[in-house]
Amino acid sequence: MKKPKSVVTYTLSHCVKCMKCIQACPVSALRMEESRIHVNHDRCINCAKCISTCHSKGLLAQGSTLHDLENYDYTICMIPPALTCTCTSKEEAEELYYAILQLGFDEVVDTSDVYGQALNETLHMSDEFANTSVISSFCPVVNRLIESKYPMLLDNLAPINYPSEAAAMHLRETHQEKGNVGIFNLVECEAKLELAKYPYGNMQYETDHALAIVDVLPEIRKHLKTGRLEETFCLEGLQSCNANMVIAKPEYLIADGLDKVTNILDMAEFDMLNDFQLLYLFACFNGCTGGHLLFGNSYSYRNNVYPLTKENKKPVSELSFEKIYSDSMTITSEDQRSFKEKMDFFKKVNEQLEQLPGYDCSACGLQTCRIMAEEIALGHKKITDCQILKAARGDKDES
Amino acid sequence: MSTVLHEHYEVKPDDFANAGKASSAIKEQLKSLGLSPAVLRRVAVATYECEINLIIHANGGTIDMDIEEDGTIRLVFQDTGPGIADLEKAMTPGFSTASEKARAMGFGAGMGLPNIKRVSDTFDIQSSEEGTRIELTFVES
Repeated sequence: MKKPKSVVTYTLSHCVKCMKCIQACPVSALRMEESRIHVNHDRCINCAKCISTCHSKGLLAQGSTLHDLENYDYTICMIPPALTCTCTSKEEAEELYYAILQLGFDEVVDTSDVYGQALNETLHMSDEFANTSVISSFCPVVNRLIESKYPMLLDNLAPINYPSEAAAMHLRETHQEKGNVGIFNLVECEAKLELAKYPYGNMQYETDHALAIVDVLPEIRKHLKTGRLEETFCLEGLQSCNANMVIAKPEYLIADGLDKVTNILDMAEFDMLNDFQLLYLFACFNGCTGGHLLFGNSYSYRNNVYPLTKENKKPVSELSFEKIYSDSMTITSEDQRSFKEKMDFFKKVNEQLEQLPGYDCSACGLQTCRIMAEEIALGHKKITDCQILKAARGDKDES
Repeated sequence: MSTVLHEHYEVKPDDFANAGKASSAIKEQLKSLGLSPAVLRRVAVATYECEINLIIHANGGTIDMDIEEDGTIRLVFQDTGPGIADLEKAMTPGFSTASEKARAMGFGAGMGLPNIKRVSDTFDIQSSEEGTRIELTFVES
């Protein structure tokens, strides 16, 4: 299996070497080496904690640009429900869609109906499985977090395809006669930038390019209030991306924000949450409407869901089973080491760990003493690289 | 069989505030070892249940974990609590002697011991008026 590709990049010029990004990473993917931050692309889950922690804007997530439109005969732009939710009325949303069309696309497509179908399928699935909780699989950060830190819970992940991928698959089918079709996805978070090209860390993808909403917003604003593109929206789809709007039922545990998600997954590993049929998890506050690449006040966006769907609601889509379901969700990065190798390594790491101070200060450039111990066990670092021990030794030398 | 790692944890009586801390530490250790998810899950569930038992029923106690060279995980839970009056009853699903306080917090459903036995590869329990000792082993399949 091809590992996911991180979208996080680092620019040296602004870095003040504060190590905050290293400490913020939930999966220990960052390190400082030779005065540069390095992102481990195998580990990174694209949660963008590092980006939001950095005061000097040294870290960036890079998406495609509008120049990529030139490579296709026909271009389609998919609009996620999170972006639609930023509009206070149907009319405002129609103006937004028209403005996006003016960026040079041949077609602008609302995908809320596909999100709605995926939500319904997830709810349906959670009703069917008794005695175990189904974990929603809409959030790529949550999926990757489970894959890397909570492998025990992989079986609980709903095998539902990313709605954007399902929608793109459908668009490709229905636009075959258009020649070389380029499918673009406007995205609200860093992790969804990665979904174009690497939806499950593999090379099978339906979306050609992902554009960060904040990157194209200046261009979109030039065309606002110049016209309208008639469109209707799907209530369930708009609800699905909004942590405060997903159907409230005592059997559903809905949570937003990485800290809360981590807490829930920790408890789920102890079988403490079996009373809940569904764990509906978002890495961003307020859900996808709180995505970092979406501009504005995500606390108020939930109030737009009903006005947007008051009249002429769009029904959920009826895409085929193959599009909505995905078996790729179960693939996991296999640890290829033999048990003896794991044991020997574990032993070495624990021996090293005993020597280290255990402050997890990151002064060595690594996040924790455990990672330092692993690096020493692998032969990449020496115990003398520990800054705390070095300071302690230095004091002695001077006296 | 030589032990690769030995860990000792103290669980204090009525320490509801820290309930689950030892289990979390054990879980993280075993994750970093790279144990298969299926075994990890079983160890996590059993350890948590036993730790909670130490707090609710036994006035605290100790947890000792040994990881052996062949991958066997051995866990010993030892307390000096009142002991289990009727072991056979205690092993019956649904039977519970938990206090109101504990039940109000969501513990004490009477599935503890039966669950622990179900998920472990070997299960040994000894109980007298001097206390209870539970020894569990888990084998990487």
